[in-house]
Amino acid sequence: MTAPAAGRAGRPVPALRLGTFRRLPGPAVLAGAVTAALVLLALGAGVFRPLDTYTVALDAALQPPSLQHPMGTDEVGRDVLARVLHGLRVSFGVSVLAALVALLVGGTLGVLAGALGGRVDAAVMRFLDVFASQNHLVFGIVLAVLFRPALGPVGAVLLSVGLTHWTSLARIVRGELIALRGQPFVSAAIGGGAGRWRLVRRHYLPHLLPALVLGFVLLFPHAIFHESALSFLGLGLPPHQASLGNILADGRRSLLAGAWWTSLFPGLVLLAASLAVGTLGEYWRDRHHPRWRSELEL
Amino acid sequence: MTGVSVLEVEGLTVRFRVPRGAVQALTDVTFSLGRGEILTVVGESGSGKTVLAHAITRLLPLNAEVTGRVRLDGEDVLALSEAAMQRLRARRLALIPQSPGAALNPVRRVGPLLLEIARVRGLPRDEARARLGGALRELGLAFDAVAGRYPHQLSGGMQQRVVNAAAMAAAPDVVIADEPTHGLDADLVETTARQLQAIAAHGAALLVITHDLRLARRLGGRTAVVYASYLVELRPAEGFFTGPAHPYGRALLRAMPEHGGVPIPGLSPELTALPRGCPFAPRCPDRAPVCEEAVPPPAPLPDGGMVRCAVHAGG
Amino acid sequence: MLEAEGLTKEYRTPQGQVRALVDVSLGLAPGERLGLVGRSGSGKSTLAQVLAMLLPPDRGRLAVDGRAVPGWRLRAPAELRRAVQLVWQSPRLATDPRLRLREIILEPLAAAGLLPRDRRARADLLARWTERVGLTGELLERYPHEVSDGQLQRACLARALILQPRYLICDEISSMLDVSTQAALLRIIAEEQEARPLGVLLISHDRTLVRHWCTRVVELADGRLAVPAGSGRAATPDNEDQEVNR
Repeated sequence: MTAPAAGRAGRPVPALRLGTFRRLPGPAVLAGAVTAALVLLALGAGVFRPLDTYTVALDAALQPPSLQHPMGTDEVGRDVLARVLHGLRVSFGVSVLAALVALLVGGTLGVLAGALGGRVDAAVMRFLDVFASQNHLVFGIVLAVLFRPALGPVGAVLLSVGLTHWTSLARIVRGELIALRGQPFVSAAIGGGAGRWRLVRRHYLPHLLPALVLGFVLLFPHAIFHESALSFLGLGLPPHQASLGNILADGRRSLLAGAWWTSLFPGLVLLAASLAVGTLGEYWRDRHHPRWRSELEL
Repeated sequence: MTGVSVLEVEGLTVRFRVPRGAVQALTDVTFSLGRGEILTVVGESGSGKTVLAHAITRLLPLNAEVTGRVRLDGEDVLALSEAAMQRLRARRLALIPQSPGAALNPVRRVGPLLLEIARVRGLPRDEARARLGGALRELGLAFDAVAGRYPHQLSGGMQQRVVNAAAMAAAPDVVIADEPTHGLDADLVETTARQLQAIAAHGAALLVITHDLRLARRLGGRTAVVYASYLVELRPAEGFFTGPAHPYGRALLRAMPEHGGVPIPGLSPELTALPRGCPFAPRCPDRAPVCEEAVPPPAPLPDGGMVRCAVHAGG
Repeated sequence: MLEAEGLTKEYRTPQGQVRALVDVSLGLAPGERLGLVGRSGSGKSTLAQVLAMLLPPDRGRLAVDGRAVPGWRLRAPAELRRAVQLVWQSPRLATDPRLRLREIILEPLAAAGLLPRDRRARADLLARWTERVGLTGELLERYPHEVSDGQLQRACLARALILQPRYLICDEISSMLDVSTQAALLRIIAEEQEARPLGVLLISHDRTLVRHWCTRVVELADGRLAVPAGSGRAATPDNEDQEVNR
């Protein structure tokens, strides 16, 4: 017999139980705390630090950090902390959507390649190679410029992130599917009369779910960075929807005037957000899906 | 029983703590085994027989709770430190794993691998070579014929012999074989049986765990039947196969295709919820009211065996 | 009749071509119990999968009750595929770990669109099969890793029989199980045969089992079909050692 422990513990889907937290290493706990704090701050931005976008208070411009303005003020006298919190919210929102776009593109193409195989697989993989061989940022800028007139700034950002970040996920989904297709239980399902669509729905997708969830979590910090980079370059969101990238771009102008706080604080928050989420995702990956280590990289 | 027993198991009980409660894997198992003796433990998958092998070698997972005694030459195995236990496993207590193909490191040639195993078992280099050669020869294989090959280049039967030789070389006091005929063809089963007997003839106390009743009969020695964590019958093999004392033993023999292939009605009890009385009572044709009240104690049989049955105790 | 004619199947491996099946012709009659014995690696499992239309042969024809199987893999007509059901050696590998036993048993009917719409009819159907294969309602709500090998194999047998196949192929279904579970599985199949003319191909390396249970026995050796001699081809240590020198 199999020892009951091994047998019972062999749950296919690693369920996150309370007990697992006790064994988490320090960095993962820290990353979790930072992520939770940042999400809470972003969600509660309006409450913690109401933002008055339109008031220009030139007499309060470029004040260094103080009790009243912990992160100082910018060149038109706005509170940097308030801007950062609201920017964080915008960045998070856009990045979630962008990561979803990447997930959708990567998942769909991965399923097509893995489930159909043959020529479809070959075509998708060549297509994938073309995308994967491009420099993400340069390619993303080209895409953002191309789509901006047609889709508007937000749509262009989403597409730019989605089309540059789907490849690793598509590879994983395809690999998992090919491994699944060789399993006796899939043959058994085919023998029971299951068609292609039923195999995908009943057997493939439930097995792919962990990869998709993990893919999303690991894509998220990429999306934050990519969006910020585009906005910083003026190709992202419009100034009235300031994201961390726009704020950094604005802050850069004040640097020459000696105002380091307009750049440092938004930059630190951007770094913290992407590092925290990325660390969490990597930890989850290494613990439950070490095989994907080479594919899902930050 | 011949000679002094080298392995003594007394009241061995193993429970696994699991999220749903506790799995009772072994309950109050008692037996002893002398040098050169063979004891074959039979039972269905999930009855606890593999846990017995792992409890004696202390290879159980961390959620196991073990009570009772295991003595090797009078030494309390369960009380040893991990380091002492490791030495014991290396030199005096050999476990032959279930699938020899998976147990041999695939990227190492057989010769160096065997020599390393022998060194871990405390044999000096020259002696290791000689002893391995001797063990392999007894199993019908020449050391030089296999030494330069990788495990996957050997047939299943040869892999089995290599693993057996590794176990024999250090002349351990106790050898435990877990499902030694798993997935083997009939002719290889015969070969394996001969090898196991050779290991016992070599002077080791041999404990074989299997679900293959024919192997148990072929090996001879004594046969122990495990059902739902209990040792329900322990007999000389000949006595058991000609006249089992426990109703479960009788039902098992009748289930063999050559004896009619009659299935036992019902399912085995869950090890998480064993009944208060005899675990076999719900499926037993000879069930009496007393059976459902308490688990019967082991009762001696005229041939030196033991049976745990309230109805058939003593005959 | 489930008829196979001239089945040949080769695998390409790093060591070269391996001929798993060589010109195998075989007929399985309704209600018959045909035994197939052979050593491991003789091509038994390949034959099982070809007969169940899960693996296309390189050459050869297959017909179910006079209807030739035209295409292979997913393209074999569903009703032909349903007529021949395969039970696998390892119930662990042959079941989706993410489905409950209840779903595993009903899945083939659901895939065929044959599941009764009425809730009650569905429950009755499930209860009937649960009882027939000796499981309990409580076990049906569990996942494969929460039941024993024997219980899972019973569910696999229910999954195969629920489609009312005309032919059942059992590929070493009890080689990992104890004798009482083996006897129970064979009893379930025998009861099905008493009710209707189900043709059964019992594949096993256990000659004693096949000899006692089957009415006719054929042997597969190195991919070729033969009527078995009185005693099996026993490998002596000598010819086994030569195997290595190939």
